Amino acid sequence: MDNFLALMEGFSVAMQPIYLLYALGGVLVGTAVGVLPGIGPAMTVALLMPITYSLDPTAAIIVFAGIYYGGMYGGSTTSILLNTPGESASIVTALEGNKMAKAGRGAAALATAAIGSFIAGTVATVLLSFVAPYVAEFAVQIGPTEYVALMIVAFLTVGALLGSSVLRGLASLGLGLFIALIGVDALTAQQRYTFGNPFLADGIDVVLVAVALFAVGEALYVASRLRHGPVKVIPVAGRWTSWMRKEDWKRSWKPWLRGTFIGFPVGTIPAGGADVATFLSYASERKLAKGERRKQFGKGAIEGVAGPESANNAAAAGVLVPLLTLGIPTTATAAMMLVAFQRYNIQPGPLLFEVEGALVWALIASLYVGNLMLLVLNLPLVGIWVKILQIPRPYLYSGILVFAAMGAFSVNFTPVDVFVLLVVGVLGFFMRRYGYPIAPLVVGIILGPIFEDQLRRSLAISQGDPIALVSTPIAATIYIVLIVIFALSFWLKKRQKAMESEVVDPTPVAVVEQKEGGK
Amino acid sequence: MSTSLNGTSGGRGTNAAPSRPVGELVFAGLIVCIGIVGFVAGAGIPIPPSAGVVGPRVFPYLVSGIMVAIGIGLIIQLLRGHTGAAEEGEDIDPDVKTDWLTVGKLVGFLAVHIALIVPLGWPVAAAVLFFGSAWSLGAKPWWRNAIIAIVLALILQFVFAGLLGVSLPPGFLLEGVEIFNG
Amino acid sequence: MSAVVLGYVPNALGDAAANAAVREARQRGAKLVVVNTTRADRLVDPAFADDDDMSRLQVTLQESGVDFTVHHGTSKDTAAEDVLEAAERNAAELIVIGLRHRTPVGKLIMGSTAQSILLGAACNVLAVKG
Repeated sequence: MDNFLALMEGFSVAMQPIYLLYALGGVLVGTAVGVLPGIGPAMTVALLMPITYSLDPTAAIIVFAGIYYGGMYGGSTTSILLNTPGESASIVTALEGNKMAKAGRGAAALATAAIGSFIAGTVATVLLSFVAPYVAEFAVQIGPTEYVALMIVAFLTVGALLGSSVLRGLASLGLGLFIALIGVDALTAQQRYTFGNPFLADGIDVVLVAVALFAVGEALYVASRLRHGPVKVIPVAGRWTSWMRKEDWKRSWKPWLRGTFIGFPVGTIPAGGADVATFLSYASERKLAKGERRKQFGKGAIEGVAGPESANNAAAAGVLVPLLTLGIPTTATAAMMLVAFQRYNIQPGPLLFEVEGALVWALIASLYVGNLMLLVLNLPLVGIWVKILQIPRPYLYSGILVFAAMGAFSVNFTPVDVFVLLVVGVLGFFMRRYGYPIAPLVVGIILGPIFEDQLRRSLAISQGDPIALVSTPIAATIYIVLIVIFALSFWLKKRQKAMESEVVDPTPVAVVEQKEGGK
Repeated sequence: MSTSLNGTSGGRGTNAAPSRPVGELVFAGLIVCIGIVGFVAGAGIPIPPSAGVVGPRVFPYLVSGIMVAIGIGLIIQLLRGHTGAAEEGEDIDPDVKTDWLTVGKLVGFLAVHIALIVPLGWPVAAAVLFFGSAWSLGAKPWWRNAIIAIVLALILQFVFAGLLGVSLPPGFLLEGVEIFNG
Repeated sequence: MSAVVLGYVPNALGDAAANAAVREARQRGAKLVVVNTTRADRLVDPAFADDDDMSRLQVTLQESGVDFTVHHGTSKDTAAEDVLEAAERNAAELIVIGLRHRTPVGKLIMGSTAQSILLGAACNVLAVKG
């Protein structure tokens, strides 16, 4: 019952008015960026990090947690009302949800997505509260050799599975590891790859790289291929209390729960993130549907919105398990959360629950609170979120650039950092252009130094014998699990691709009406 | 004139422009070069006698080796015709040609911004950056861009420097104004 | 033949303006030029009519019996510039627009299409208030 008490203590922190305010701010910003095109939660956390130095750690972490959950809610709103899935995790929502909206059932789609997200988020947070401490207890016992094994798992899964091309993902990871090497070696105090430049001797700040890649790279890339043509919003009619009919509830509650229990485990293992979870949920809902309802799939089946949206949010909570207990991020946003922790000299990992128990439990408590806020905010405020979409793109991306420049300058208050921002931003532009995923690079920068440290330690123990890295039972098990994960996820990817081509192709995902001037 | 649905290309994984492999090859070549530089510069890292079995050079060599191997692998893949799928997004039109001019303008305005921070202060530099970017991206009319740029720069300066204490230099124009200083 | 230019927006105010424009055109024996363009620079542009809106409007106009042309689509220029340009090209004797209430702050940030038309027009402008 210790954990329960600790959680209650967490609530007593998170319920303080000032922290409630921070949580509210976090979920509002999170939903807004989830709705807005071109900005994701990872970019937002990166942009806000330099300018939240003055906040105390608890407040900052609560804000970032709110952004993390809020981004998930916001994404579904745009998918349903506009049919423009920003991330692959919302493709299925766009598929069924937008069809529902076109048939005048948009309100029900929004409601089932929001309520499902709430239920999944809450149940998954409960699971997180109970699972995480046990994983942490186990993690405390493992040594550097096992740590090396775990990090290799993280590197390979994030690098090889997140993008569409394995080699490009690994190249991105390698770039991250290389950037992390620049500076002074922590163990021997020798300068590495600094080329005698005093600026490089301090190393390149992770936040700077993240802001450059996520914000500047994205803005440049969008500028290079700016889409023209507005999309028609499908209006949502009626009062939000009457959005869900009795039948909708009946058809939704099972998919909500199934989605939750599919999403959470998939989130905890680093097997490709939330989109795998949503596709698994969608596939199982389609399989389980019978008769008339099955025929509705692809034409606006409410189960196809309820299940995947729940799975999406449950996976988001699942991702926090390896992040908090092992210090291993498996998505871009989780990587940014890890950086946020490090900013305050907090190292997520096995000892986090012991050393920073109060903070972690306050974070988990704020997830419950944030979820409730999101449910209350999202249903009545849909109209406002849709208004945000009327911001002209030029202003949106100019604003992103100004914010990024401000964040970069705030790192050390020197224009040199803004110059680094520009250079890395151009790198990010070319990476997007040529299909290199961004997340592995960020994960590489963050985990690289920790990985090297653990690797050198375990090799020092074994007197330089590399066989020792795979010969302990736990490490060997981890490597076997790695192979299983790979086999499984390649199979899943194949299934997903097959289903995507089956479901998505006959009905185009982005139906954008483009008209030429009639002059 | 007419309504065109970009139906077939609305999906995922469109392989665009045939001219792309040149740029991609250069990028992959760059990855190999970084690996080679890593080896050359890595050999110059001094190893102090205090270093254990695994000194400060081992990991850099490992990373450099991976970079060279992956870079060569990518070049082979590209020569066989497997090009990368450019990233997609809500505001990305996969079918248009790259607008290098706009990208160049944005990079240029960022460079101007960097040059202006110290001599003129952050708000002026930020306003110039916003105005320039909005203009480059096609926002109209110019006076509205200017108003938004100035108002945004002043609000950011006020909130972050004035309220939150982030030390953004106000510049000589706003030096004496209390609310814009941390 | 003289012309009346209508700056159309797909909402109740726009339909009211359309009715007024039809009346004016009939009275003057002028042809009606309907303008609805977007710069296509945002994800959602509520002032831009989709094809359903336009066909609805066209049915109404056909029933009215007025001679009309429609200028609809994406444009490099702002909506106000397009309306003014259409007025100039057709040597219009009247521009009809809908005018909604806006707070001073909203006007400062978003600017006003109506205001630009009022200031830039060479002919009379009829502002319909719902």
